Amino acid sequence: MKTFTNNLRLFWQGALLSYVALFHWMRPIQYAASKILMPLAQMFFFVYLGTYATSADNRSFYIVGNALQIAAVSGIYGMTMSIGGDRDNGTLGYIFGTPANRLVVFMGRAFMNIMDGALGVVIAFFWGVVLMGLDLSNTNIGALALIILITTISTCGLGLLMGCLALITVNVMFVNNFVYFMLLIFSGANIPLADLPAWIRAISYALPLTRGITAARSLVGGASLAEIAPLLWGELGVGLAYFVLGYFLFTVFEVVAKRRGTLEVF
Amino acid sequence: MNVRVLVKYWRTILIVAEMNIRQQMTDGFILFTVLFQPIIIALLGLWMLKDKGVDAAMFVVVGSGLTGLWSSLLFISGGSINAERWSGTLESLVAVPTPFEVIVFGKNLANVIQSLVSMVLGYFIAVWVFGYSLTIQQPLLFFHSVILSVIAFISFGLIIAPVFVMNPGVRAWQNAMEFPVYVLCGFLFPVALLPGWTTPVSYLLPPYWAAVALHGTSTGGATVNETLFAWGMMALFSLIDLLIASRLFKIMLYKARADATLGME
Repeated sequence: MKTFTNNLRLFWQGALLSYVALFHWMRPIQYAASKILMPLAQMFFFVYLGTYATSADNRSFYIVGNALQIAAVSGIYGMTMSIGGDRDNGTLGYIFGTPANRLVVFMGRAFMNIMDGALGVVIAFFWGVVLMGLDLSNTNIGALALIILITTISTCGLGLLMGCLALITVNVMFVNNFVYFMLLIFSGANIPLADLPAWIRAISYALPLTRGITAARSLVGGASLAEIAPLLWGELGVGLAYFVLGYFLFTVFEVVAKRRGTLEVF
Repeated sequence: MNVRVLVKYWRTILIVAEMNIRQQMTDGFILFTVLFQPIIIALLGLWMLKDKGVDAAMFVVVGSGLTGLWSSLLFISGGSINAERWSGTLESLVAVPTPFEVIVFGKNLANVIQSLVSMVLGYFIAVWVFGYSLTIQQPLLFFHSVILSVIAFISFGLIIAPVFVMNPGVRAWQNAMEFPVYVLCGFLFPVALLPGWTTPVSYLLPPYWAAVALHGTSTGGATVNETLFAWGMMALFSLIDLLIASRLFKIMLYKARADATLGME
């Protein structure tokens, strides 16, 4: 029982402190700008580009795709910086030096980013409805909330994996940016999956977001939760696979870094 | 800073630009911003606009290059003074007889030139991957538009850098400032699609006039008069930007010396 309590405390403290540390350089108003203005501007850009490319009738296709894509801001950047930041700030050695449960530390890093990412997507949908005319009258809002949560979790899974890579590379931002922008193509947020070549589609389905975006579009189009359930299970499965892979790499990198003495070598 | 100073120190500007390019070739973040991001946007745009024909493809090639120019201006040129501060070289650069803004001008020149490479790569992607046969419709006017755009972007960057240094709070808005300019300046789609009230805002942004000139001359969609007007606006904004930048640099350096905060965040 004591171990459980300790782990719970470690999880919560880790979640809270890593999140506070992640945004320590921002003031509340700047944080709000990054949560409100940035997603809005990015959505506007791709929605206008998409409707210019096709027609205004396809607006909801781009709004839904790009609103869910916002999950990748916290999922990829937030997660990577939460984990990689320990290396940059010289605190990685202390973490590896503690007897703390690695899985709890690992999950603590993810928790607040999942919450933050989901909030970002909700805000993006809000903009979609208020400013871009997204019609959610036929949408099961509870099911949409579930899609947002699951998609954010799966994106954070990929972010955790990226975060582990941040422990062994100095070009973290290059990797982050590359993955984030490639998701704009591969996730189907802006290009219908059916238009992509088969080999790209295969990659798309191995990535988070893809099934979540497809499910959200179906739901907004009037589908029921039961109809999109297989997509959601798939999205969750992909996310968990990345979590497991990320955690595995985290433990491997810890052993290798300790053995080679390269814990904080850049 | 006036044009005379730029002419007098042209060799310094070129050497700074060369050194900057060499140094930045190893920086993953910078390489992504000036090369990879515009290329990904070009791929995305070409795919999304593939049913719109050759003109749209040329629009995307030029527009994606412009996104690279703006992002490099915002993230790299905007942080060019702070980068020297972090490297511990800012004091030395300020102390040399060459005006500091000349050095920053050279750094901005490097960033803009690097970004232009992405436009060339975008062109080859459109030709090789998507099979377009792209021709610049008004090559001479396009070439002059590129030169004026480079000057306009550099001059605009000379304002951004000291503003970011003197107002760290503004710098934190960088991420939120990237896409609005893509939208308002019509890099990848015409601003006519936007609500009418945004048009005056677009007119106040030098990158908008660069987009007008480059899109118009590359696709042949603009008359000579329209292109000349865009050139005039770019020249006007460049002069205004240089005057403002000159004042900002003086204020920044005086403040830094008076407060003894040159090397401090």
